[in-house]
Amino acid sequence: MPGSRHSRFASLHDVELCTHAATGERRAFGELVRRHGSSVRGLLRRMGAQGAEADDVAQDAFLAAFERIAEFRGEGTFAGWVKRIAARSYLRRLQKERRIGALTAEQVDVETGGGGGDADGRIDLDEALKVLGAAERICVTMCFGAGLSHQEAADALNLPLGTVKSHVKRGLDKLRTRLAPADGVALEGRRGNG
Amino acid sequence: MAEVDFERRLERLFGEASELPDAAQFAERVERRLDAGWTARRWLIGAAGVVGGVVGASQLMMSNVVQRVETAEDSARLLSSGLTHMTPRADWMAALSSGGNIVWIAAAMAVVMMGFVLTRVIGEI
Repeated sequence: MPGSRHSRFASLHDVELCTHAATGERRAFGELVRRHGSSVRGLLRRMGAQGAEADDVAQDAFLAAFERIAEFRGEGTFAGWVKRIAARSYLRRLQKERRIGALTAEQVDVETGGGGGDADGRIDLDEALKVLGAAERICVTMCFGAGLSHQEAADALNLPLGTVKSHVKRGLDKLRTRLAPADGVALEGRRGNG
Repeated sequence: MAEVDFERRLERLFGEASELPDAAQFAERVERRLDAGWTARRWLIGAAGVVGGVVGASQLMMSNVVQRVETAEDSARLLSSGLTHMTPRADWMAALSSGGNIVWIAAAMAVVMMGFVLTRVIGEI
């Protein structure tokens, strides 16, 4: 019975679920998708993918992860591993559709005033990311959201390392300004990526 | 130091993600695609097995396997009787005397095994 299977897997740790998935147990992998699907989709949206596109890429990334699950050795988190697969997959898609050049060339100068917090003083990262240019957003998200190094991001984007570092630095500067607590309120993540 | 703190906070912010309202449906879609891929793979393996079985069976038929088994049976009998004359009779010699039967038993076991594999494949499909 699928329901009982799900509840059986619900109590297991990610690494245990990966072990089950490596033996071909698809329901165990389904539990991993249930746990981490939203964060992977959220990451792709933060990289600039639209809703349906983000979901497509996330699905492909999870399928690729299932095929390569034996390669996951539990050295990092499962979510981080899938996020890296998804981020690279999204970039490949952009390159295939020749959108990456336009994105990396794009420079968006948006007013970078502070005040990214909501009425409760919390900070919305998604709102803050809108201030960044496409290239900055992709570079920052790959490095801080998907956990890639600058070099890995440069390789994935097919850009010089210095260019990626510049995008990250500019992006961080803008985010710092945007996310700076207006009145000493501690930086706190607002749970939202829609 | 402030730089490092900010980067850590940023990583934490990226790490925090609320569950999307359609998270369960998304997981179901992924599972369906996994199942579809798995079913296609099983059909492929099953088809390859059937083709392999047919080829193997036809090769057996064409190579006059029955005739060869009968020849092997005669040879085993001959060898057995020769050895009986040469050495004192032992238990394993008795077993060897029915060498032809051993071949048939092995063949029967192979058929049973193939049947088992076939039922497993059909069950998986």
